[in-house]
Amino acid sequence: MARYAMVIDTRRCIGCHSCTVACRTHNHLPVEMIYNPVMTIGPTGKFPSLHLSHLPLLCMHCANPPCVDGCPTRASQQREDGVVFIDQNKCISCKTCIMSCPYGARKANHETGTVQKCDFCRDRLAEEKLPHCVATCHQKARIFGDLDDPTSEVYKLVNTEKVTRIHEELGTEAHVFYIVS
Amino acid sequence: MNVEKEMDGVEVKKSCCFFCHQNCGVLAYVKDDKVLRIEGDPDHPTNSGGLCCRGNIALLHLDHPARVNYPLKRKGARGAGEWERITWDHALTEIATRLGNIKEHYGAEAVATAGGTLRTDDWARRRFMNLFGSPNGFHNSHLCWVPTFLIETAISGWCPFETDLGGGSRCLVQWGHNPGASGMPEMRGITELKRQGMKLIVIDPKFTETAAKADLWLPLRPGSDAALALAWLHVIIYEGLYDQQFVENWTVGFDRLTQHVAQYTPEWAATLTWLDPELIRQGARMYAQNKPGNIQWGVALDQSGKSAGAGIHARALLRALTGNLDAPGSDLMTGPSKDFITDEEIEANDWLPEEQRAKQIGSDRFKLTTWPGYKEIADLTREVWGKAPTAEWMCEAHPPSVFRAILTEKPYPVKALLVSATNPVNSYGNAKEVLEALRKVDFLVTCEYWLTPTAMLSDYVLPIGGALERPVITSTYGCSDTIIGSQRAIQPMYERKLDYDFWRGLGLKLGQGDMWPWETVEEAYYYRIYNLGYGVSSFDEFVETQRFHFPEREYYRYGQIGFATPSRKVELYSTTLEKLGYPPMPTYISPAENEVDDPELAQEYPLVLTTAGGFMPYHHSEHFQIKELRFLRHEPYFDINPVTAAEYGIKDGDWAWVETRRGRIRQKANVTEAIAPRVVMTQRGWWYPERDATEPELSRCLESNANVLTATDDAFCDPQGGSWANRGLLCKVYKAQNGQGKADN
Repeated sequence: MARYAMVIDTRRCIGCHSCTVACRTHNHLPVEMIYNPVMTIGPTGKFPSLHLSHLPLLCMHCANPPCVDGCPTRASQQREDGVVFIDQNKCISCKTCIMSCPYGARKANHETGTVQKCDFCRDRLAEEKLPHCVATCHQKARIFGDLDDPTSEVYKLVNTEKVTRIHEELGTEAHVFYIVS
Repeated sequence: MNVEKEMDGVEVKKSCCFFCHQNCGVLAYVKDDKVLRIEGDPDHPTNSGGLCCRGNIALLHLDHPARVNYPLKRKGARGAGEWERITWDHALTEIATRLGNIKEHYGAEAVATAGGTLRTDDWARRRFMNLFGSPNGFHNSHLCWVPTFLIETAISGWCPFETDLGGGSRCLVQWGHNPGASGMPEMRGITELKRQGMKLIVIDPKFTETAAKADLWLPLRPGSDAALALAWLHVIIYEGLYDQQFVENWTVGFDRLTQHVAQYTPEWAATLTWLDPELIRQGARMYAQNKPGNIQWGVALDQSGKSAGAGIHARALLRALTGNLDAPGSDLMTGPSKDFITDEEIEANDWLPEEQRAKQIGSDRFKLTTWPGYKEIADLTREVWGKAPTAEWMCEAHPPSVFRAILTEKPYPVKALLVSATNPVNSYGNAKEVLEALRKVDFLVTCEYWLTPTAMLSDYVLPIGGALERPVITSTYGCSDTIIGSQRAIQPMYERKLDYDFWRGLGLKLGQGDMWPWETVEEAYYYRIYNLGYGVSSFDEFVETQRFHFPEREYYRYGQIGFATPSRKVELYSTTLEKLGYPPMPTYISPAENEVDDPELAQEYPLVLTTAGGFMPYHHSEHFQIKELRFLRHEPYFDINPVTAAEYGIKDGDWAWVETRRGRIRQKANVTEAIAPRVVMTQRGWWYPERDATEPELSRCLESNANVLTATDDAFCDPQGGSWANRGLLCKVYKAQNGQGKADN
């Protein structure tokens, strides 16, 4: 069984927001719903000694997802391959999961009356295609694959580069890894 | 949408993005002439599957409710927004009749056409105009590469635009170019090469996405590029960093140049560029000592106005001095294609009589980019390469002078303007004057996707097919020996047609029938690629089986054929420019408006303005009506340093006025360290499609439009190429009270 994960190489990211637009457009989300915003940090410092970086975000597909634990209807689920998703037929939009997610990854869709979030493009995975945000990235800053497969790019990066995870201290075991420098 | 479920009858078309001119490959899944979904083509040589923000919204663009879908004829007053739907045939008949009448009374030259960026088959427009007899077609090409192309070709026989980064480049200079916001595929290549140790120098007043990745950032005063380039020449010559062998064997005029640039020391340039002399030296050394190296073209110099030619000229000589020409990893001169029919060969330029060429507006002053200079240069390239550069773009009327001819009837009346793929009030300089001309011109026809302010003022609006609805040939304005082909995914929706169909249709109505044998643009493309010898029976088959034609790269071709200049060498002392009446060696010209020449003006307008370049997710003046992009940047922003903002009591996000001698515009303040305290950088293109589109509001096309600030009088224009000034102007900034205030229109 695969264990899906993403590595985000922030050294490559230029903050173009293509991933954000690709995700929302191809997943047909309302205009105010964003699964994967890109935060721009800076420029920091004083002219002309400056630094600029970008931080692409998304659902962290935690190994220990607080959102799944807290869901009263079992709409929030985790697949064996690690993908955390919401069964839209079971979601009653109680928003418990929104409160429990430390990453702010979940959004209420006012058109469908449910909570939604990034599911690593499950429909694309079924077609053996990459998630939209990964496929669209000109800079190849988002790398997706099977962390259990030693030949995969994500396996290599996680095991050879200095990677970090957001809110490591919470023990969520996020499966989105960042290369910062 | 799960296409797999309905794969029956689904065809995958090898189409391309059409929202800038990189034409990234797009796979379109099509069933029953409907595009079900798109994705970046992973096998395409340009984008390897990537698509930027714009590329991703192609399906929203394709059937957007605001698209123009039927030919429209004006019913009420100009700009009232009252239209009658008519047929294409009817529209073309009426337009042709009107153009025929104008030609009879005022001469063919009274019909002008305005184009946009490379988003059309404008060889067809040129062909129509040549056959009609008017020399007065134009684009914004003066601001975009064309002066660079022609000066570089005058000096070295072809523009070395092919940056051979993959050939082992060790240093890349990005001079006023920010691929991090405007050239995503390029940026990936740069990132990869930087990892392998290539040095990146970024010359830009702003700490851009690209500057953030640079080894060396030179934040020069906007518009002072000529001073920096001249100082680099000085450093490279006087520190002995030039390629002695290349200079000795393949250039003429070195001694004269050495003497000429003695005056342009880094210390001299420091006061003009606001850069430390040591930083100037450091940049010159980094470029000259890390060979092979590249200077990638960027529009900043083309857009500098009167100092444009001087800066471009100096920059061009840097390559020759360092031998970074046609060597592996350096800047290559592809020359025109030997293998396929080039744009120039299909433009029918020979059909335009000498007497009509002589009437080209602006050719009496701006000789480089009009018939006199183009002919001089084209004759030389024909001798050496066998072919000439594209005349569309490279040999055009001077746009500000055409708008003024509409207003003043000097040098003669211009009565009709045919507009294709541009919204001149937002895209051309001195917007207030352009708007006045659009309101005044007797006959205005626009080929468009949208009811832009210009379309609203038109007598006829023709609906044009865009991305996914058209085949595309990508070949660097017809000046490269490479070609990439893309097919249309579907036929144009509703009653849209292509700009090719417009020019051909008009040609047929005006008796040009013999000259338009290709019923569709695919037939014309097939004619162009037939000689490539792939044995295909249609353009579509070429796309499906080949997709591109990349001849094997030959380096040092000048060793066999020489450089296409009178001396057959790189002319550090240019006899071609001299013959046209211009300085044979680059000679300093100050920025369009500046504190040194005009301290009094600088008292009233103390800040230096640049109207800047591309920013995601827009392209020029496009896409403001697409909410799936607009959410990223709702409103126009200008950059201002915190020190300056505090001085004027402006906080981040405040609406403020930016004003030059030409007028003022409203944008929001982006308070940022990314630019120097004395610099202001506005965003370009802005109009508000969500506002009232009728007169006098016209989607508030002047309110936040950076071109209200730009300067196009002859005194601001480059004497060689006629570029007008978008950079290096003087401005002042003040807070808009209560966020309100009426713009100048």
